[in-house]
Amino acid sequence: MLLLKKPLEQTIFFILLSIALGVGSNFFRSESIPLLAQELAVSDNVDLNSEEPVLLAISIDQAKEFFDEGVLFLDARDDAYYDEGHIKGAMKNAFLMELIFNIEEKQTKNDPLVVYCGDPGCGDSEDLAYDLQNEGFTKLFVFKGGWLEWSKTNYPISGKR
Amino acid sequence: MRQDIEKYIVLLSRIILGGVFIYASLDKIANPAEFAKAVGNYHVLPFGVENLLALILPWMELLVGLALILGVLIDGASILVIFMNIIFIFAISQALARGISIECGCFSAKPEGGSPIGIQTILRDIWYLVMGFVVLNRKSKWIEFYPKSI
Repeated sequence: MLLLKKPLEQTIFFILLSIALGVGSNFFRSESIPLLAQELAVSDNVDLNSEEPVLLAISIDQAKEFFDEGVLFLDARDDAYYDEGHIKGAMKNAFLMELIFNIEEKQTKNDPLVVYCGDPGCGDSEDLAYDLQNEGFTKLFVFKGGWLEWSKTNYPISGKR
Repeated sequence: MRQDIEKYIVLLSRIILGGVFIYASLDKIANPAEFAKAVGNYHVLPFGVENLLALILPWMELLVGLALILGVLIDGASILVIFMNIIFIFAISQALARGISIECGCFSAKPEGGSPIGIQTILRDIWYLVMGFVVLNRKSKWIEFYPKSI
């Protein structure tokens, strides 16, 4: 009997070998990546005066605390959603370079910045936070609950709503 | 005569598909972290799984590409070419339909500064899909080494 004669056997062979090579090569790579992307650690008690660079997820209570302290919020959603309603004073999203320019008109890369998007599952806020981290921003907080959680409270908002 | 033309078309499809898939795999195999971001940007997978896909998919592209060019396990390779292109077409279409403007991540792992997706990307993948079917439905096993037809 010949091995791998049937198309289905060949297909399964390719899939299994790809998994073995993909996962195996990652294991031996110097800059390996986790097999499953990690969620950001949620923090409830953050010291804004610390010099350490941070990228953390924050709860709504922490977000409100930052809001009261005047920390800049950044809305990672598309314009239409932003116009519909956003956290009061939040900055509108834009192309990354334009966005960085807009942020730097208000503060430095070492000042705290809260990024949020639609809801805990949207992921845009986290993507944007990583982009900003790559561009040298050092105090980034992802408010995971986002607009969904904020708009359910009586906390300050702007927009059409 | 017609069979002759057919076997040349099959061989040409194998070489084109093989070359494209091998070329597409290299940058992604070298930069899985970047490619994972490009995959994540499509927002089709549940959070976390993009890393696994970013590790496995490029190797599948490489293996399938090599098999098509070397003339081994062509049936399995062409089935996966068809399968992968259907997935690509679906992922790109849903991103376009939702108005997400993202980089393709097709030939370069970079989530930025590459080539953005568009109708042309879908048309290109449909073309690869057709070539995949041509190879799968071939009548002669010309320049194939394993498994040999009896």
